[in-house]
Amino acid sequence: MKKIKEMLLTIFGIGFLFFLSGTLAFGAGDKVLRLAMDAADIADINPHFAHTGQDRAIVHLIFTGLVRYRPGDIGEFEPDVAESWEVSEDGLTWTFHLRKGVMVHPWKNNPGYELTSEDVVYSFQTAADKAKSAWAGEYAGMTVKALDPYTVQFKLEKPMSELLFLPKVADYAGGLIIPKKPAEELGEDFRTHPVGTGPFIFKEYLPKEKVVTVRNDKFYRGMPKLAGVEVFLMADLSSRKFGLQSKELDVIEGPPSQPWVEEMRALPGVEVDVFGPGEAGVLHFNLKKKPFDDIKVRRAIGYALSRDEVVTAIGKAIANPVFSEIPQPQPGFITYDEAKLRGRQDKKDYLYEFNREKARKLLTEAGFSKGFKTEIYLTERGEYQVPMQNVVAQLRESGINVKLTVVDHSTYHHNIRADMNPIVLYNCWRPTADVRLTYFAHSDSIVVTGKRPNTNFSHVGKEDADGDGKVDSVDYLIDAARDLLNTNGQKALWKEAQFNLLDWCVAYPLFIKKFTFARQNYVDWGYDLQSTLVLSPQINELTVITK
Amino acid sequence: MIGYTIRRVLIALPTLLVVLTITFVLVRIAPGDPAEVRLGDYASKEAVEALRKEMGLDKSMWVQYLKTLKGLLKGDFGRSMINGRPISADLKRSLPYTLELTLLGIIFGAIFGIPTGVYTALRRNTFADYIGRTLSLAGLSFPTFYLGILLMLAFAIKIPLFPVVGGGDIHNFADNLHHLVLPGLTLGLIMTAYVTRMARSSVLNLLNEDYVRTARAKGLAERKVIYIHLLRNALLPIIALIGIYSIVLIGGSVMVEIVFSRPGLGKMMIGALKQRDYTTLQAVMITFAGFVVLINLITDLAYGLIDPRVKYK
Repeated sequence: MKKIKEMLLTIFGIGFLFFLSGTLAFGAGDKVLRLAMDAADIADINPHFAHTGQDRAIVHLIFTGLVRYRPGDIGEFEPDVAESWEVSEDGLTWTFHLRKGVMVHPWKNNPGYELTSEDVVYSFQTAADKAKSAWAGEYAGMTVKALDPYTVQFKLEKPMSELLFLPKVADYAGGLIIPKKPAEELGEDFRTHPVGTGPFIFKEYLPKEKVVTVRNDKFYRGMPKLAGVEVFLMADLSSRKFGLQSKELDVIEGPPSQPWVEEMRALPGVEVDVFGPGEAGVLHFNLKKKPFDDIKVRRAIGYALSRDEVVTAIGKAIANPVFSEIPQPQPGFITYDEAKLRGRQDKKDYLYEFNREKARKLLTEAGFSKGFKTEIYLTERGEYQVPMQNVVAQLRESGINVKLTVVDHSTYHHNIRADMNPIVLYNCWRPTADVRLTYFAHSDSIVVTGKRPNTNFSHVGKEDADGDGKVDSVDYLIDAARDLLNTNGQKALWKEAQFNLLDWCVAYPLFIKKFTFARQNYVDWGYDLQSTLVLSPQINELTVITK
Repeated sequence: MIGYTIRRVLIALPTLLVVLTITFVLVRIAPGDPAEVRLGDYASKEAVEALRKEMGLDKSMWVQYLKTLKGLLKGDFGRSMINGRPISADLKRSLPYTLELTLLGIIFGAIFGIPTGVYTALRRNTFADYIGRTLSLAGLSFPTFYLGILLMLAFAIKIPLFPVVGGGDIHNFADNLHHLVLPGLTLGLIMTAYVTRMARSSVLNLLNEDYVRTARAKGLAERKVIYIHLLRNALLPIIALIGIYSIVLIGGSVMVEIVFSRPGLGKMMIGALKQRDYTTLQAVMITFAGFVVLINLITDLAYGLIDPRVKYK
């Protein structure tokens, strides 16, 4: 018995020592920033495919573009890999002069090399290749060639304004530069072993756990202040929160929820960033499905809804109402005052402000004095559930009963693209007004039947939207705006298109919801974080841990 | 025994085939596919169709099924349809995290559950018995993820003893163990509840058996009666139960891995399911099914070690 006791004590003692060493290791701190994203794993960290929040957070550490959105403010562009550029008067030729000394990260046994125009040309050719890029459509109609090792020229089939062209070569999606040699050498493995020119170098990917990056000492904007960044993949909100509380994590992704923001703000030493541009939530009415083919029914829904109520349900700290398809602050958006003023001039209503009596009157005129029932699919995701359930509750007050069938997010996207929903709630951000209007309101983009089916759920452009028996379309306005070089003229045409869409009530802009992240107060982004297309706070060479 | 083991393994093959077939068909029936997920909601239908073709998803289900079978017969799980990594490499990395978690859950369950069950049985209808029964019932009623969160709150936040993020470095024993304690305890407490109840009822059933009475009549010390005569017989159903609940535990490990962000099979499965990563999901399901078969086999073999009357034919 004594021996057994001794043995147990020895085992316990050794275990305790191991435990203690683990605790000490766990407590050790350094200047590596640990960010936790809401995901079980990465999908694809090749920047020309990366589209999820976690993938974007990673690729923006590793890759850069010819120009970049000013950190923290997507309203401005600044030189990046290209130190300058010029455009021909006809808007058909764009020439970029590359910065010297931009080093491609080392990979495997290769020490890296200086990025040249050959890499840039390769990257944009890859971005335009359907088999190698999710954004290929954005790069159709342009050719790119190297004039010398530090000069790259784009030739466009049609002229393009700065508003539309610079986002294509900026540090976003297909604009992120993939260097040629590592991409060709790594082949398929590049998807989980990215090599770029950004402030941080990919070190390792531990599946379902994290992606580790280290500082790029040779970064052309100066050595990053952080030793590295680790992006953790943690699908559970509670564990992210506990990780932040226990200081195992420095920054965590939050849900779009006001109570969460308030809860985090109440924690000592924790700050919350609520930033844009956010995702605009718009209800799209399917003109091919009865009774939504009737403009009176669609307008009745508009009047039956209070945007303020929806925004309150989401949380006023993280959401704002929007009044046009293109959300603020994207060039081409329409403000409340603009819509009001233009409405007075045109003797039309572009705002559809909450008025239940008007809604009931319109429903009666449409032959639905007792209301009607409809059924829609909805994703299980909270950012859709919260606003849509509020919408459903509001519509019920006007006699419109919407039955929600909740499905997983992939199924939702599949079903709405298969034209199965009479009403589609779609939350998203698109890089330009042109992209947004083309995808949501151009007849080419009509789901299933369009020339290039995308997200025109309403079928506007091929249906009678105003009830006069003729097909209504804004295609000509979208196409004309795309070809203009004058940005003010472009904005005017985009607004015109949106006033038409509002008049026909084919879509009802509801809200714009911002992104929410919590961080330790010792994390300093190094810039004023107002908006970023990364979908998470951009961690760059200026970001620092101040403790 | 070797012949029996080989036969059992061969019998398991059709089971694995059925699991593969069901998984294969179900994931493909569900709306959405890996091409849509990989390209995201920005991509045009055209681009999705092109990628679908490249992935071979435009081919009939039969062709895809035969291709999968052919790969599996060569021992090749293929590559992830989302990120292109070899699935066997990911399985190799994830498997130890799930195995150690399940194993620790079983060990905790056996260490806490068997003594508690025997103790409460021997003190039937006393205060200790009521407490034991109430606690085991509470354990059965607790959802795994909730218990995990409570343990995190208690032992990582209020009393900062354990980490909450990840599974630790599998090659660093101390770090790995440190990360394993809380998730292991989460599963272990659930397992303890099952084992306690089974051990208690098993001992109660045997307390009035003739051989127990005889042993007592011979004048054997009560401890010997309990530990040598009674417990050895009671262990047989307990082992059967541990076998069965180990399978349940593997299911429970999925939630625990999500809550504790452990990079195990459960997290791999959920990720693959959300991303419609057909090949990864198939591989994970077969691995889980393989586990079930293996645990059943180990349970059956364990009978023979404890009860010499059990013969393997």
